[in-house]
Amino acid sequence: MPNILVADDSPTMRRMVIASLQSLPNVHFEEASSGLEAIERLALAPVHLIVLDLNMPDIHGLEVLHFTRRHEVFRSIPVIVLTTKGDEASRAEALSAGAAIYITKPFEPHLLAQYARDLLETA
Amino acid sequence: MTERQAPFILFQIADTTYAVHSEAVQQMEMVEHITPVPNAPPFVEGVVLSRGQVIPAINLRTRFGLEKKPYDLRTRLIVVRSGERTVGLIVDSAREFLAIPPEAIQPPPDTASGMSERYLEGIAILDKRLILILNVDAVLSIAPSEELHLAEAIAEVKDALLAEENPPA
Amino acid sequence: MTPASTNVFTEFLDDYFAECDEHLTAMRRNLLTLESLAQQERVDVSLLDELFRSLHTIKGLSGMVGLAEAEQLAHLMESILRALRRHQLDLSDEAVDALILGTRTLEQVIATRQTRQPLPDIAPAIKQLEAITGPLPDLPPSPEETPTAATETRLPLPRESGPPAFTLREGERAWLFQFTPARALAERGISVDSIRTRLQEIGQIVHAAPRIQDGGKVTFEFLVTTDADDSTFTPWQEDGLTWAPYEPPPPTPAATGLKAVPTPSIGPPNVVRVDLTRVDDLMQTIGDLVISRARLEDTLTSLARHVPAAQQRQLQEINQALERQLRSLREGVMRLRMVPLGEIFERMKFVVRDLARERRQEINLALSGQETEIDKLVVERMLDPLLHLVRNAVSHGLEPAEERLAQGKPAEGTIALRAATAGDSVIIEIEDDGRGIDRERVAEQARAQGLLDAEAPLDDPTLLDILCTTGFSTRRQADRASGRGVGLDVVKKTVEELGGSLALDTEVGRGTRFTIRLPLTLAIVDALIVSVGGQRFAVPLPSVREVIEARPKDVTVLGNEDEMLSYHGDVLPLIRLAARFGLQEQFERAFYVLVAAHGAKAAGIVVDRILGQREIVVRAISDPLIQVPGIAGATELGDGRPLLIINPAVLIGSRR
Repeated sequence: MPNILVADDSPTMRRMVIASLQSLPNVHFEEASSGLEAIERLALAPVHLIVLDLNMPDIHGLEVLHFTRRHEVFRSIPVIVLTTKGDEASRAEALSAGAAIYITKPFEPHLLAQYARDLLETA
Repeated sequence: MTERQAPFILFQIADTTYAVHSEAVQQMEMVEHITPVPNAPPFVEGVVLSRGQVIPAINLRTRFGLEKKPYDLRTRLIVVRSGERTVGLIVDSAREFLAIPPEAIQPPPDTASGMSERYLEGIAILDKRLILILNVDAVLSIAPSEELHLAEAIAEVKDALLAEENPPA
Repeated sequence: MTPASTNVFTEFLDDYFAECDEHLTAMRRNLLTLESLAQQERVDVSLLDELFRSLHTIKGLSGMVGLAEAEQLAHLMESILRALRRHQLDLSDEAVDALILGTRTLEQVIATRQTRQPLPDIAPAIKQLEAITGPLPDLPPSPEETPTAATETRLPLPRESGPPAFTLREGERAWLFQFTPARALAERGISVDSIRTRLQEIGQIVHAAPRIQDGGKVTFEFLVTTDADDSTFTPWQEDGLTWAPYEPPPPTPAATGLKAVPTPSIGPPNVVRVDLTRVDDLMQTIGDLVISRARLEDTLTSLARHVPAAQQRQLQEINQALERQLRSLREGVMRLRMVPLGEIFERMKFVVRDLARERRQEINLALSGQETEIDKLVVERMLDPLLHLVRNAVSHGLEPAEERLAQGKPAEGTIALRAATAGDSVIIEIEDDGRGIDRERVAEQARAQGLLDAEAPLDDPTLLDILCTTGFSTRRQADRASGRGVGLDVVKKTVEELGGSLALDTEVGRGTRFTIRLPLTLAIVDALIVSVGGQRFAVPLPSVREVIEARPKDVTVLGNEDEMLSYHGDVLPLIRLAARFGLQEQFERAFYVLVAAHGAKAAGIVVDRILGQREIVVRAISDPLIQVPGIAGATELGDGRPLLIINPAVLIGSRR
């Protein structure tokens, strides 16, 4: 059963992301409201896809991304970076750091679901 | 023939049969434990607890300008919802649940007092029985100080109907 | 704007409003702090970070629910904060004003969306915000200024870098903690989040970072400065924590620049948001439990003579334990509903600030007791009345500066807003040091309108009654004369509906004080059960000062038929509940007098009998047909019979 980690400091936003991905078959969700919590979730349960917000308290989403790319165990987990309009400059860095896809909020729910499905299937 | 028959609850006050839409009725109870509220309007018998809510119990006889009658085994409290409000109506008896076909309902006749058009949604005659369909929202929205001489209005309605049935020669 | 009907995220609107509300509250607080720092060289970076994050979240969420106006406002304000953060912009009065106007407009946009009213005009706010962002270079937003640990601008993003420099205060030490998460720990509720909270409680987290150990295990490193000694954390070994003293590297010149910048606290507070209706459901269940326990007690009492003494004692003990436990359960749930009054006090700052500008007057708003907690429902209902009283105090109470100086007062007027808990009540005071209410002119008006007998003196409670008379207060002439009044009737009504009371003290030339006394919680109170004319009533115990047994011969009847009882060397006017309520008194030799007060006005309420003392569940009376002055609600003691709850303050206040 694929496990999707949704990391965002806004609980409403996490609910919106989960609602958008609910249609995927058999998925299970893990939630994290900060960068450190996101990494803890990764350490405790197998995760197959990360939907990652950038602007989080404690450590920044890009740090979480770099962290996962540097370590063997997490390197293969695909990451969708989901961030708010205005952070576009971080797109290049996110993509070069190894994010699979970069999406700006407001996002289209079916598009997010489509990307997530593709990434889960190819992974 | 049976296009959407609207369900009604029938009740009696002073030998006249009234109906209210059953969807407006939350429940029907025997009358017990009414706590009088000092300085409330005269037709408010007091408060009752209904599903944890404190609601007024309105004596419809008093409200309609009729004489009060002691409660007996047939007296009922009909809890109705009207907009945001929930109120209890005390009536002589209430037992029937009746579906009235829409074609049996006619607008209230014009009467001298204009009372019937204001407080009745319509009238129905079923098996020679006259049923007055009460507009609960209208009855509840009148100022407590305004007197409601419904008895006279009903007499007017009955007269108007009789006149229709037996046109003067 | 995306039409709401086509937006798939409309089902999250309630969450959206709730989350925005939290951020807006935090923003108001932070903006006012920011305002006090305007024109200073160094601004607390954490403050800017927090504002930035609030706006960022509001912007993102507003986009999701299709509220483009809010998104646009938040975006512009975010740009200003980013520029401030990068020192591309000075913290000028204009910038702060633009941010405050922006916040207020943002608030209105969200509030009108919530109530489905037409959106306000956002153009003025946009214009003022753009006037600030205008001269900025088009900012290529880059991640480094995003609020992470105390990184100044242009530093590369900290990878698994070492901790930043920090300073130690007297008696503090630095410790490096390592936490290794594990499922077994998570099952016990121990997570990086709870560890972070734990560490924040003992000191300050200077740095936090994830690490990977040789075996591929993830650990978290926290650098903490604290004055706690290591015996505090010895028991934490079992929770996956290890620690060692940390020696800071010698400060480098670059690092010293950071010293003055306070480190942002790390991580969100440990807060769960609960829908208020769920708390209400719980409260309802507890209310039912209280009633069931009362019935149990009644049954035990009636069984008493059939049960052997030893067993009876046991039963009583169990019953008492149950009562205690219910009480603590109830208090616990009630605490969930409590919010600090500080939140609405913060709003008053905005109001006073605006009025001060409008009137070009210096006003000092002195707040105290912001931490006082009260039921959330009460806070919501009290917002408008408090706004009203504060506005009145500024616009009618405070004299213009010249007038003040001429009277030997400081030019700056003071409005004090205080809150405190006193027993089962919360007391809120709104006081100004202005001109006070001209009693003589109010009396004149009141007599002219037949509201006051020619001879009657005008004491403070009577004055308040007159000011709160709807007909009186809306008369413009009276207004000008007294300088008070508009809408006071509404204030009084709201306070009384909440089971509280309003009092007034005023002195010409010295100022005016309104005192609001509200019940701490609404749901359950201890009450005296009394009977009058064969009918039972409940009187909340907090409103009763004393109960006196009296006989008819103790009562002195005055010429105007007012009855008095001598009381502690003074006289106490009596209010016969039976007479007020159209009932027949049914006492034998003696009756009972409940001494209660409304402001400075005390009176004795006469009842036939005291039946006992019980914990009652207060149920509101909402139907207009049964809203009667002096009755605060209804309750039930387990027998299905409703009992009316008396509000003595209203009875006393309306005494003629």
